Amino acid sequence: MTEATRERAEPREETLADPPETADRRLGRGRRRSNDNLAAYLFLAPWFVGLAFITVGPILASLYFSFTDYSLIGGADWVGLENYTRMLTDERLHTSLGVTFAYVFVSVPLQLAMALALAMLLDRGVRGLPIYRSVYYLPSLLGSSVAIAILWRRVFGADGLVNQLLAFFGIEGVGWVSHPDYALSTLIVLNVWTFGAPMVIFLAGLRQIPRMYYEAAAVDGASRLRRFFSVTVPLLTPIIFFNLVLQMISAFQTFTQAFVVSGGTGGPSDSTLFYTLYLYDTGFGSFDMGYASAMAWLLLVIIAGFTAVNFFASKYWVFYGD
Amino acid sequence: MVTKTSAARAADRRGEQRRRFFVHLGLVGFGLIMLYPLLWMVSSSFKPTADIFSDPGLIPDTFVPGNYTEGWTALQFPFHHYIWNSLIVVAGSIAGNLLACSMAAYAFARLEFKGKRLFFSIMLMTIMLPIHVVIVPQYILFANLDWINTFYPLIVPKLLATDAFFIFLMVQFIRGLPRDLDEAARIDGCGHVRIFLRIVLPLSTPALATTAIFTFIWTWNDFFSQLIFLTDPEMYTVPIALRTFVDSQSQTSWGPLFAMSAIALGPIFGFFLAGQRYLVRGIATTGIK
Amino acid sequence: MRLGLKPAAAVAALALAATACGGGGSGDEKVELRFSWWGADDRHETTQEVIKRFEKAHPDIEVTGEYTDWDSYWDRLATNTAANDAPDIITMEERYLREYGDRGALLDLNEVGDQLDTSKLDKLVMGGGELDGSLYGVPTGVNAFTIMADPQAFEEAGVEMPDDETWTWEDWVAISAEISEKSGGDVVGTQDIGFNENSFQIYARQREQSLYDKSGALNFDQGTMTEYWEHMVRVHEENGAPSAAKSVELEAGGPDQSVLATNSGAMAAFWTNQLGTMEETSGRDLELLRFPGESASAQAGTFFKPAMHYSVSAASEHPEEAAMFVDFLLNDKRAGELILADRGLPANTELREQLTSELPEADQESADFLTEIEGDVAGAVPPPPIGAGDVVDITMRVNEDLMFGDISTDQASERWMSEVKDATGGE
Repeated sequence: MTEATRERAEPREETLADPPETADRRLGRGRRRSNDNLAAYLFLAPWFVGLAFITVGPILASLYFSFTDYSLIGGADWVGLENYTRMLTDERLHTSLGVTFAYVFVSVPLQLAMALALAMLLDRGVRGLPIYRSVYYLPSLLGSSVAIAILWRRVFGADGLVNQLLAFFGIEGVGWVSHPDYALSTLIVLNVWTFGAPMVIFLAGLRQIPRMYYEAAAVDGASRLRRFFSVTVPLLTPIIFFNLVLQMISAFQTFTQAFVVSGGTGGPSDSTLFYTLYLYDTGFGSFDMGYASAMAWLLLVIIAGFTAVNFFASKYWVFYGD
Repeated sequence: MVTKTSAARAADRRGEQRRRFFVHLGLVGFGLIMLYPLLWMVSSSFKPTADIFSDPGLIPDTFVPGNYTEGWTALQFPFHHYIWNSLIVVAGSIAGNLLACSMAAYAFARLEFKGKRLFFSIMLMTIMLPIHVVIVPQYILFANLDWINTFYPLIVPKLLATDAFFIFLMVQFIRGLPRDLDEAARIDGCGHVRIFLRIVLPLSTPALATTAIFTFIWTWNDFFSQLIFLTDPEMYTVPIALRTFVDSQSQTSWGPLFAMSAIALGPIFGFFLAGQRYLVRGIATTGIK
Repeated sequence: MRLGLKPAAAVAALALAATACGGGGSGDEKVELRFSWWGADDRHETTQEVIKRFEKAHPDIEVTGEYTDWDSYWDRLATNTAANDAPDIITMEERYLREYGDRGALLDLNEVGDQLDTSKLDKLVMGGGELDGSLYGVPTGVNAFTIMADPQAFEEAGVEMPDDETWTWEDWVAISAEISEKSGGDVVGTQDIGFNENSFQIYARQREQSLYDKSGALNFDQGTMTEYWEHMVRVHEENGAPSAAKSVELEAGGPDQSVLATNSGAMAAFWTNQLGTMEETSGRDLELLRFPGESASAQAGTFFKPAMHYSVSAASEHPEEAAMFVDFLLNDKRAGELILADRGLPANTELREQLTSELPEADQESADFLTEIEGDVAGAVPPPPIGAGDVVDITMRVNEDLMFGDISTDQASERWMSEVKDATGGE
């Protein structure tokens, strides 16, 4: 018997069987919690200290630098909004925004769908679950070491593995990472492939769903499909939401994979010039940290905007147990 | 499934078996694709440096186990020195994230307090700036504290819950827990500390395991901040040490580099294998008092 | 400035790190220096040994090496320079020399002339570290950009090796195409050389122009550059070089994965000090050739480049000791016999002569080649302007667009010149 089925077999819930459909008591929120201030601030104390002494300073410093001409090596000279107005005419910045948006809106949904599908599949009491889970997580473990950079070029190179396979079927391949028309798509595939992190979070989320809900639903005679939509999905929405928000934030900041595959150049012909790659190159390659900081703040505004939309929309589809 | 004839049941079983077979077939096939990079890395680590780029096969033409011994000793310190350094940073980071992030998450998920929305937004905002524009001010900050070339810049921030990813993660998990539990505890006269320790934490095992696993992997693989804050080779961690095999203008020691890269995967994979058992310890097995 | 741990922090660090930490222990007043360089493990090992010898000769000075690979090196250096915490002795590259020197991050080495003797250093590269009368870096060694050729590949293709004293750019294109064709595509004639702006530097110098003048401004006609791009395009058109996509991959792969290293091409452009590496990875005897067009033009375009520079941080608390260390690296045989040609052929001409016989075979070949062309070199190349670090990327992008056929050779020159002007703030 697998772990999963064993868990399901354990009756535990008795007093708490309380299906989610009836658990919507968000309306009652806050009714009895008014004296939590002190406790909350104590629980948040480490975070406050970290914010005040470690996080806020550098963030404000970068905001200040965004209004200066700052070469890293020399001092910072105040230039007002110059860095921000320069963005309007910086064509490479526009290219990088295009690349980044395309990446975010294609790769995030694909990756999440992949992660969720596999998490569901693996959550169904498949024999050998821990092995599959580990193997599927492997690509996400590899990180961005030099060895991995070599690997991608070998797999997707003009004479690489993919093209050898294609040649076997009589199809002539292309330079998947070295041709401007294909490099970005290849990176998206690579990103979808490292779905391990969201998958693990989904798996953890699935396991956190109290079995009693399923049992209650089963007692009510709900079919498997119905149980999926009436129990699993609603109770998983906080986790789906988390993955969506965080994957989006990190996709906007995508750096490592692009850096690894293009050697930090964003090439060929700027086809993989991700926003943060350009930002990094501006700051550390061209010693223009003032402009790089301004770019960072533009990115922050963009990400914050999308995150706010996500949070606003979440009111309509995310279900919390509280 | 209430009552069925034995024949129908047997047919069911056969169908079920066939279904399972195909599920496993798919899972295994997919798994092979996922395994390829690891196989390739291990295989390359046994090839002579000159063959790595000319011999594309997974089975080395010439088998060179010497890459491992060479890689282990080629740098200024034996390789276990760097592994040890990495483990210290990882252990500190995990402890910090588990403790500080779960506390903050409890406050955000379960308590009502003044400024909650504002603080939550600020918390999320802190992960929206790319590290490249804050690293210089951070360096100046840590240099003023005399913390360069110590592990403090890598660990202390985690103890102070600066990793908002995990706060948010735990907030989502805690909010998914039925509230009746802590309500019942409250009625029994439990304070927040006890609710947090006795109810919320145990029920959040999957979230805590996820946090520990991700912290391990991400810290272990983290390159940029470790590169910047640790400049003395004695303090180098694994990712920095691996880079010192590389010379983009001349000859990189590919063989030893691959051998040590393969070894560097050991601890994270081992930790993942060990930690994933706790991912499945959901509410159903934890027990509720 | 070396940051010693405060006692309380030290105790905690010890508990935390459980590894013995800096600080030295006893209260003797040793001068502590930090020395940074980039490279791979062989260089680290040699350099550590050099440091040991220096410390033996100067027991009152302690040197810590801070090393990493090329890319990371510059990120780290920029960060700790910004925080006024740069290493005392910094290995520099000419493209970054002005970036740091002009902004006051480097010490004028003339101030420590008593400790650092530059009299024996090769005059053809000494100028590379001088800016407006200040000396911000001294060359570690000498290099020249060449065409590296694989005679065996030529032979297998049934093509004769060119006479590098007379061959023209047209010959280069024709020979490359011939090799690709006769080998049936197994071996290409040449790897693309347009990715490296130094190829054009040679081309321009052959026409009595150059990439930059002393003030850092562009110093060539647009027509010259367009002509140069024509050759680059033609070698692709006639299949003398790999396809555009393949060329991008080869460029990203570095020397280890070049066509020479994998025996899949006959020629590529490399620096003389890479000969040893390339012979080792390719497993073949390679030959150094002069760039095409050297005799058919107004003058030879070949130039000597300082392989690297040693600089001293302006913030160093011990500039004199740092200068002593640099002096040891450059002028002391105890260092020279270990470093050999690892940082270019020794810049100290006396040492170079003494050590030539001790050099590995490939480096001796490079040394011979450099001696051979020395007479033709038409003067030193001034250090590139601020922003020259960007020129590498600009050249790459323009070359890519050109190879993929997105722009014409005219547009390539126009774009290169305007982008470089923007990046370097020049005219």
